[in-house]
Parts: sequence; C-alpha cells; structure tokens
Amino acid sequence: MHHDVLERWSQGNSPLHRRDPRAKVAALLVFLPALATAHRALAFTAGGMLMLLAGAFIWARLPLARALARSALVLPFAIVFALITWAAGDAGRAISLVVKSYLSALAVLLVVSTTPLPVLLRGLELTGTPQFVLLVAQFLYRYLFVIGGEAQQMSRAAAARGASARKLMARSTPFRAAAGALAVLFARSYARAEHIHRAMLARGFQGHFQTLKNLRFRRSDAAFALLASLIPLAVRIAMEKAIPWAR
Amino acid sequence: MHIPDGFLSAPVWITLDAAAVPTVGYLARRAQRGFEQTQAPLLGVMGAFVFAAQMINFPVGAGTTGHLLGGALLAMTLGPVSASIVMTAILAIQALVFQDGGVLALGANIVNMALVGVLAGYLPFSLWGATRWRRFALFAGGALSVLVSAVLALSELLISGVPMSGRMVGISVGVFLISAVLEGAITLAVLESLERIQPMLVRRPAGRPSRVLGALAVAAVLLASVGVLFASEAPDAIQRLTHQTITEASGWPVKSLTGLAGIALIYGACLLLARVAARNRSV
Repeated sequence: MHHDVLERWSQGNSPLHRRDPRAKVAALLVFLPALATAHRALAFTAGGMLMLLAGAFIWARLPLARALARSALVLPFAIVFALITWAAGDAGRAISLVVKSYLSALAVLLVVSTTPLPVLLRGLELTGTPQFVLLVAQFLYRYLFVIGGEAQQMSRAAAARGASARKLMARSTPFRAAAGALAVLFARSYARAEHIHRAMLARGFQGHFQTLKNLRFRRSDAAFALLASLIPLAVRIAMEKAIPWAR
Repeated sequence: MHIPDGFLSAPVWITLDAAAVPTVGYLARRAQRGFEQTQAPLLGVMGAFVFAAQMINFPVGAGTTGHLLGGALLAMTLGPVSASIVMTAILAIQALVFQDGGVLALGANIVNMALVGVLAGYLPFSLWGATRWRRFALFAGGALSVLVSAVLALSELLISGVPMSGRMVGISVGVFLISAVLEGAITLAVLESLERIQPMLVRRPAGRPSRVLGALAVAAVLLASVGVLFASEAPDAIQRLTHQTITEASGWPVKSLTGLAGIALIYGACLLLARVAARNRSV
C-alpha cells in the first residue's frame, strides 16, 4: 500500500499545480458529465479528450506513461461489466463503459496529482462541503498508512508465530485468529484516536486543519476554470458536428 | 462494489447525488452535535482501520480468502450516524486517491454503502441486539448491509440500461449472497472477540421491540431492495393512473407532476392508515 507516488506528484511545481483547487474541481465537474453523457461519435470525442488529458499531464510535468498505467486500476471492474454487456449483445455499450470509466479515472487522477490532498479538501471546504466530513476524511488519509502498517506488522508477527502452519491446527482456527487480530486492531485504533486527539489539543488544535498557504482565487484561476471547462465541451461539440456519419 | 464513472445514466447519478448531498450534510451536523470534540479524530482513525482491515485475510476454504467490508461493524460500535459519516469519508478517499469508484457516481456509492447499507446493517442489531438472539443479530447485520448495498448497486446498473441476461443477474445475486454470509460471519467473529477484550466498545441497544415489528421491518428492507430486481413488468398503480389521465403527447412537466401527485396520494393514504392503526393501539 504505497501511495507516496501521488504525494510526490502533487508536490510538483507547474502552472497546473499552482491553480486554485476550486478552479480544478469546477473544471473536473464540467469534464466528467460532458464525457459521461457523450453518445454520438464517442470514439472521436474520447480520442480528443484523451489528447487533452495527456497534454495536461505533460504540461504539469508528470510522467504520462505511469499516469496512464495508474488509471488502469479502474479497468478490471469495467472489463468484467463490458464482457457481460458484450455477452448480452451490446458491443457498442461495452466499449463505451471501458472508455468512459478509464477517461474519468484519468481526469480525477490529473486533479489529485496536481493538488495535494489537504489543499484539495480545503478547497472543497470553501465551496461548502460539510466541514465535518472533510475533517474525518483528512484524519482518515493521515492515519491510513499508520494503521495499515500496524495491520501488516500484526500479520507478520502472527506468521512468525506459526499462523501459516495450517496443517497443525483445527480448520476454524485461522478464521478465529484473523477475527481476534482485527478485534485487537480495532481496540488499538480506538485508543490511538484518543491519544491523537489529546496530543492535538495540547498543541492548540481548534477543530479544523490549517493549511500553510491561504487560498486565493485569482483572475488567472477564473480564466483557467473557464478555459478548462470550455475546451472539452468544444471538443465534444466539434466531434459530434463534424462527424455526422458516426453513430 | 464501487461503481465507476460512465456506468450510470445521467438521471440515475443526478438523482442519487441529489439525494446523498443533503443527507450527508444533515448527518454530519448530527454527528458533530451529538458528541464531544473527540469525534472527528476518532471517526477518521476508524475509517483508516476499515482500510487496514482489508489487509487481514480471512481464510474461507478452497484456497480463497475474504476480508471485512466494515459498514455493519462500524454501525454496531460507533452508532449508525457516525458509521455513515465514516463510510462517506472512506468512499470519498477511495474515489479520489485510489481511483476506486467514480466521482459522479460518488452519490450512488454513498447511498448504497454509507447510507442504506449502514442502516440495513444496524437494523437487526437495534431490534434484537439486546435479546437472546444477539449473535444472530450481529450476523444478520453484517450480511444485510452487504446484500442490500450490492443489490442496490446492481439495480442502479440495470436501471441505467447495462444489459444483463436473467441468468447473469441470478449469478450475481448468488455471489452477493455468498459475500453477505461471509461478511456476516466476519462481523460476528470480530465483534465477539472485541467484546471479550474491550466490552465497552460494542454498543448495547436498549429497546426490546416486538418480534412482529422486527420481522416486518427486515421484510420491508429486503422487499424494497431485492424487490427492485423482481419488479413486475406490468404497470403499477401510478403508471396506470398516468396513462388514464394524460396522453403520450403531453410534455415532461405534466408527466412528472402527475407522477408526483400519485406518490403524494399514496403517501397520504399510508399516513392515514398509520394514524388509524396507532389510535387503535393506544385505546
């Protein structure tokens, strides 16, 4: 579970990294519906949008090939459903499922790999998302790797004590051992949460996170949001108008 | 089952996003108001716990393993409101950081897993958690939460027009049943171990409601979720009324208004019935 890739990518310095998170989210929220509702000339629209996203990754000085590979995480689920759809005799929809889910994942990846998550969540907070949910999400992300490491450590310790020697134990033992491990992990996480909160109170935590930079929505951000939402729309409309013979 | 973007048709994701946003806002206010300030770090760390729990594999037999999904477990330890908030945060992080589930489909995934799934998981526990059927309630909570979420996701895909043969739907429901039993077994085993080491962490519902009421509630949940799959092709009362009162030619505002009026009529009738039933009992 190493997602330090995103951490590194989002710390970069490029025009795209410097844009206000609200501008990027606004553009994303235009891009995704424009892609999701495209039906006519989908192959051309999707091709155009792939070019746009690839261009944006290069503009942000991020490794394009690795980004393309990372978005493929969505493919296993999409391909299973595409095969089911294909079997039901709707090949066009099968392709559209794969293409749309892949491109949507790539667009989301572009936003999160040019915006550090705390900044992104702060931007969402300023646009009116319930603060409490974002606070929980923030804590979740911060302690993901801590609790995950603890879980790994526990299973390694269990293996060192012979938990993998299945032949020596009754059939139900491994199941109960895993349940016991999870119960211990639960109790430890609960206790850790209380320690964390006390330590944060001691350091002056006031119920919300502070970011180092104050977010300011500049004129360039507005221009970026406008352009970044208009260009994909223009691509879609142009493809649908220019290629009348496509379905 | 996290639905990615591009799978749901526009009316489906718009409706579910519109349903999820105010509900999560309301629950967030309630979760924040109901407890002390420690709540936010606690909920966040417990969300991280659910993530980490997926690394501990449960041997199921025949060489395969399963893992905890966690909605029901959280509901039974933190309470349903907080569990919904934690699940919402988990789904948001999964959609943003792990490309697991779409951003437009986030509302659908929240409704399936964080709202309805958590409620369905908490229902048997709140009904029978304090009776001698406690173990059964823990198991049923885990199983119901998974079954209801998965069937909801499947029906959303079907409504969106992802074509699936009847046999395929049957196979999926079979898979859902197996994973539901597995989640029930894991939830039960973890909670029983937890009660042995830290009994205070598991909630104890106070009420002792009647069996009939409980059975009715569970049947209603099952009917509402599973029933979508087996909904009859024949027009229901509202559709029939619509066909009788307006013609095909009328625009969508008229159609949707008549639909709303039909729903309001049925709601009024149910309200009236409930009032009458309540009065009869109190006498």
